[in-house]
Amino acid sequence: MSNNIWLVIRREYIERVSKKSFILTTILTPLLMVLISVIPVLLATFQSSDTQVYAVLDRSEVIAPELTDGESVKFVSVNMPLDSLKADDAFAGVLVIGSRIMDNPSDVQLYTHGPGSMDTENYISKQIKSIVESKRLEAYNIANLDQILNNIKANVILSTYRLDAEEESSTSTIMCFILGIAMAFLLYMFLLIYGQMVMTSIIEEKNNRVLEIIVSSVKPEQLMLGKILGIGLVAVTQIVLWMAILSTLVGVIMPMLIPSEVSAQMAALNAGSLDAASATVDIDLLQTMSMLGNIGFMISLFFYLTIFLIGGFLLYASIFAAIGSSVDNIQDASQLSYIPTIPIIAAIVCATTIGNDPNSSLAMWLSMFPFTSPMIMVVRIPFGIPTWEIWVSIAILFATFFLMVWLAAKIYRVGIFMYGKKPSVKELIRWARYK
Amino acid sequence: MSLLTVSNVSKHYAGHTALDDVSLEVNEGRIYGLLGPNGAGKTTLIRIINHITAPDSGQVIFDGHPLTQNDVVNIGYLPEERGLYKKMKVGDQALFFARLKGLSKAEATTRLKEWFERLEISDWWNKKVEELSKGMAQKVQFIVTVLHRPKLLIFDEPFSGFDPINANILKREILRLRDEGATVIFSTHNMSSVETLCDDITLINNSKNILTGNVEEIRNRLGQNRFKITFEGDTNNLLAALGDNLLEHSVDIISDREKAITLKIAPEISRRELLRTAAEAVDITSFGSALPSMDEIFISTVQQFNQNKI
Repeated sequence: MSNNIWLVIRREYIERVSKKSFILTTILTPLLMVLISVIPVLLATFQSSDTQVYAVLDRSEVIAPELTDGESVKFVSVNMPLDSLKADDAFAGVLVIGSRIMDNPSDVQLYTHGPGSMDTENYISKQIKSIVESKRLEAYNIANLDQILNNIKANVILSTYRLDAEEESSTSTIMCFILGIAMAFLLYMFLLIYGQMVMTSIIEEKNNRVLEIIVSSVKPEQLMLGKILGIGLVAVTQIVLWMAILSTLVGVIMPMLIPSEVSAQMAALNAGSLDAASATVDIDLLQTMSMLGNIGFMISLFFYLTIFLIGGFLLYASIFAAIGSSVDNIQDASQLSYIPTIPIIAAIVCATTIGNDPNSSLAMWLSMFPFTSPMIMVVRIPFGIPTWEIWVSIAILFATFFLMVWLAAKIYRVGIFMYGKKPSVKELIRWARYK
Repeated sequence: MSLLTVSNVSKHYAGHTALDDVSLEVNEGRIYGLLGPNGAGKTTLIRIINHITAPDSGQVIFDGHPLTQNDVVNIGYLPEERGLYKKMKVGDQALFFARLKGLSKAEATTRLKEWFERLEISDWWNKKVEELSKGMAQKVQFIVTVLHRPKLLIFDEPFSGFDPINANILKREILRLRDEGATVIFSTHNMSSVETLCDDITLINNSKNILTGNVEEIRNRLGQNRFKITFEGDTNNLLAALGDNLLEHSVDIISDREKAITLKIAPEISRRELLRTAAEAVDITSFGSALPSMDEIFISTVQQFNQNKI
């Protein structure tokens, strides 16, 4: 008989994994993720180099000489009536600086042909701001002003090291945060998508009456469990493939992109011998890259992600299965599916707060509570929390799953034969007693 | 010998009773008709026999012991509402169901190929179910039901959706399975197929077993004092002559002059007496006893039951 569970699992798994849509999303999603992270770089490279020329009508006669041309903005000082300048199409626009600009920095107008660009506007207002400020400073007549200003500049770079970790290693808090949120979001997606897949698949079987045939050979509980396990296996397959593809891409591409001097500094950082002042690369970036390059750390993250995916999926899929069995159509199901959806959404909403303070007591409790623990725990794990906390949370999660699946099976075997009416509590109890 | 004994089975759902103290006995190697109007409780009874639902009270004995989950591999069930996975290929699907019934992959494949050839559907093996017509899908489903050679076969409306040619093929296969030793329970509204196929029947109405027994025996019993007379002449003369002794009758017009009357007379009137009375009133062209069709038995039994209840 347990052979039958295996047959159901096998069918669910093969039918789904061999679908074109599954193969496509599995391969394309990691590619897309890499592409999205590369696009800003590409965009910066290929940004339009059209230079826009602005006529400057400077009534104060202080600002114009100090204006410097930017990459895509050029200034030409002119002395013509405003109206004729406005009519002149040769210029992209006219910048009018009022005579009282030093007293009133807002006394400046920009007229443009066509829509204005945010970049240009920012560039112009920044320039004018700094010119006005430096002119105002100059008015105090302080000697060696430039040198004083240079001397007082301070640039703080905080290198952080974990003392409680097994080996003292450099960490990047911001990267922990990003990794944690990314994993929480991934779980959120998987739980909702695959959980609902279980539900719709049960409704479908119920509607096209395949169910009647299957339950004449398989116990309903076995069918439900087989379906949940089969679909769960699909989810695990997908996430494992994603990680494999992503890490191959990153593993191949990263070394090619990183110049040797950067990798030397990365090595120095990890050894704790990096002199921050001499670093030519932003230290945040160094820390981030060194963290991503820490294979042991990444593997442990992935391991926990998979465990929480499995536990969370099994728990939520049982609830979705019970709902699917007790309704006739998707419309009715969408009302009931609020029950499992609300805690999933609540968890993802809390995730950011938890990421900002992963050791708060709220974080601790939410990562133990089984309905939020998968999403919350994966946010906390990258920051490095005691291993026993993780395993207690996993134990609670799986214990709740067993309880839930037992309950769901009771509802399921009544629900699947109920067309158009809800089972009474009395009937539920009677079914529960039947062997 | 009885393969299946259902004794005093009742099943209640919230608000209504699906089965009320139903008993029946299905003998080995027979085709057993389970009849009844819609909503009478047939499907519930079939589900109980299939170990899908549990009875509230009563007992089901299968092959000499109380029915358990392990017996389902000896039962083949074709539900009224047919269902297959639409997106799955026919062959894969048939294999899946066969293996659920405990056949090994190799065994299932050999038997399936055999059946597919016999029903001339071999080239459907790699088609998806959604590409098949309703009748085609039914054939696949029929094969899936019988493939594991169960001792007990349960068909719920097996002929619905089939054209006459395929219905005949199906009938032939059912009889062949019976001859090979299978016992068949057959739930249907199609009374002509009951007459040609069934050995015994049970008629369920309003959750109760209201008529049970051998088809021939029932027809003969209910056919006592029923006669069919064809005649020429005035129907009213005949009816007047028979008077109060006529319990029920129906008249068919055969040709311009000839009519036929099917009638039931009071038991104390002998055949000779009836013939004499009728001959005085009209010109008789033929006379014989008339066995009721299963259709008539079904309708009159159900109506009588419903009237008594009121």
